[in-house]
Amino acid sequence: MVSKLADLNKQQLDLTAKMQPILPYDKKNDRPLFMVLVILAFLATLTLLATASGYRAAASWSHNLQGKLTVQIKPAIEGADSVNPGEAERAKTILSKLEPVALVTILPPEYSKSLLEPWLGDVALPEDLPLPILLDVRLHGGQTLDTKQVVAILSGVGIRADIDDHSQWDEEIKRTISAARVLSYLALGLIIIASIAASIFATRAGLTSQRRLMDVLHQVGAPPSYTARLLSTRFATSGFKAGGIGALAALLVSVFVGMMFSTSGGFSYFLPGLHLSLTDIYLGIAVPSVLALIIAATSWRTVIKTLYSEIYP
Amino acid sequence: MKRMWRSSEKMSRVNIKRQNEHKNTGQHISKTHKNPNINSSPESDANIHFERVGFRYGREGEILSDVSFSLPPGSMTFIIGPSGAGKSTLLKLIYLHMRQSRGHITLFGRDTSQIERKEIPALKRRMGIVLQDFRLIDHLNVYENVALPLRVARSKREDYREDVLGLLKWVGLGSRAHALPPTLSGGEKQRAAIARAVITKPDILIADEPTGNVDADMGRRLIRLFSELNRLGTTTIIATHNTALIPEDANMLSIEHGQVKGNINGEQIG
Repeated sequence: MVSKLADLNKQQLDLTAKMQPILPYDKKNDRPLFMVLVILAFLATLTLLATASGYRAAASWSHNLQGKLTVQIKPAIEGADSVNPGEAERAKTILSKLEPVALVTILPPEYSKSLLEPWLGDVALPEDLPLPILLDVRLHGGQTLDTKQVVAILSGVGIRADIDDHSQWDEEIKRTISAARVLSYLALGLIIIASIAASIFATRAGLTSQRRLMDVLHQVGAPPSYTARLLSTRFATSGFKAGGIGALAALLVSVFVGMMFSTSGGFSYFLPGLHLSLTDIYLGIAVPSVLALIIAATSWRTVIKTLYSEIYP
Repeated sequence: MKRMWRSSEKMSRVNIKRQNEHKNTGQHISKTHKNPNINSSPESDANIHFERVGFRYGREGEILSDVSFSLPPGSMTFIIGPSGAGKSTLLKLIYLHMRQSRGHITLFGRDTSQIERKEIPALKRRMGIVLQDFRLIDHLNVYENVALPLRVARSKREDYREDVLGLLKWVGLGSRAHALPPTLSGGEKQRAAIARAVITKPDILIADEPTGNVDADMGRRLIRLFSELNRLGTTTIIATHNTALIPEDANMLSIEHGQVKGNINGEQIG
């Protein structure tokens, strides 16, 4: 320390050189806060990415299900083994005549078999296995169909059928996304509270370690706002840097997870993965900015409050 | 020495800024001052008036009791008394570090009990304060320490650069401008602290035991420095327990057992 000071003393006073900041850098004390802020920014960005990605996935699923119905033709007699293919054709003709219906397609037996795969596995099914005949019904844009009425119409001509308009599945998706949204808000709220708490703690620690400097600033007539600006600017800058690192790390993790899913042939529904949208990038930029603002406001308030209670009479 | 200080008279921009603050304070006085007996004319602005002032910490007995005196603008006054007599407390009341428990203190034409907290920094910028422990900032060099009040006042660097260097030469630290405080001797530290206190040409200069950490020779040099500053019109108040350094004809206030006695411009106090 002494040799360092002696070296500094040997230097000529360069009046054009930048003056030392009034508030000294205290890496030893600043580093823990920086690390905490990086982690908080990482978690906040990941939460926001997950929420945005979940919304997009849900919206896509809902959109895909809109205007689609699946009609299942059942054997004419309860307990019968198979469905008469002629009934499927009749049902197609009847359904095609309904005004909201745009297209009716009889799905091949292979499609019905593929629906059993999750339960029975990829094995050759016996030929005489009774399978329902499925009709894929597409409606004109924005149109709906009264499923009970359609069942009644088909029943009236002797065709037993069930109609699935996917509304139950759609509702479940919406409920799941609502629950995910509440959890995301809760997580973000906790992250913000943690950021505020960390900022208050760091500001108080900073005030304690720089108490002598605070006294001198008071002595030379610095208003509390001046001192608060010194500290809050320092913390906000640190928060912005930490937020940037945290957000970037979260985006990279998302891309990495996306790559892992894509190589295994899957899809990461709750992370954008390789498909980062502009919204995801904006979120990545917003997190450090918001974090810096929160920290600036919190540290400003803490300094003003502390100075008025401890230093200014 | 005077010639050097005259160069700092060129601190017109700093002074204009300060004068504007004075004007603003004056405007505020006319609006808020309620005591018609207190003279708030510009001539008596730097007058310090104590009227039956008492001070106590919490429920303890009074450290200062019924203290009354008046220090005219441009005067130089020594406050003497044994350790713990209340010299520092008296100074802290003057430089608005604490508030009195009772009585009235008038400073810059204002009753200090009427001064709001947010007004204190502006009033403090009209005072230079030198404390026994110097209070220099270790990571700033001497030049930066002395320039600190000007940085705080948001003066432009190019406006005060020459003034700071001129003042440093004047206090004998011209060659130590780049030195960091931990490498300075006690006398150098004290002179740097004095330079910082006077860089803004304050109306009032307050020094609490400024010779406490230096040898007798340096003590005498520092007192001469204060006398030079006082001759330039700064109201100067120095608290010291070292009476050997005080000129014979100096104004003196003696504090003992919370009471103040003394002589200001030939007038007996207490």
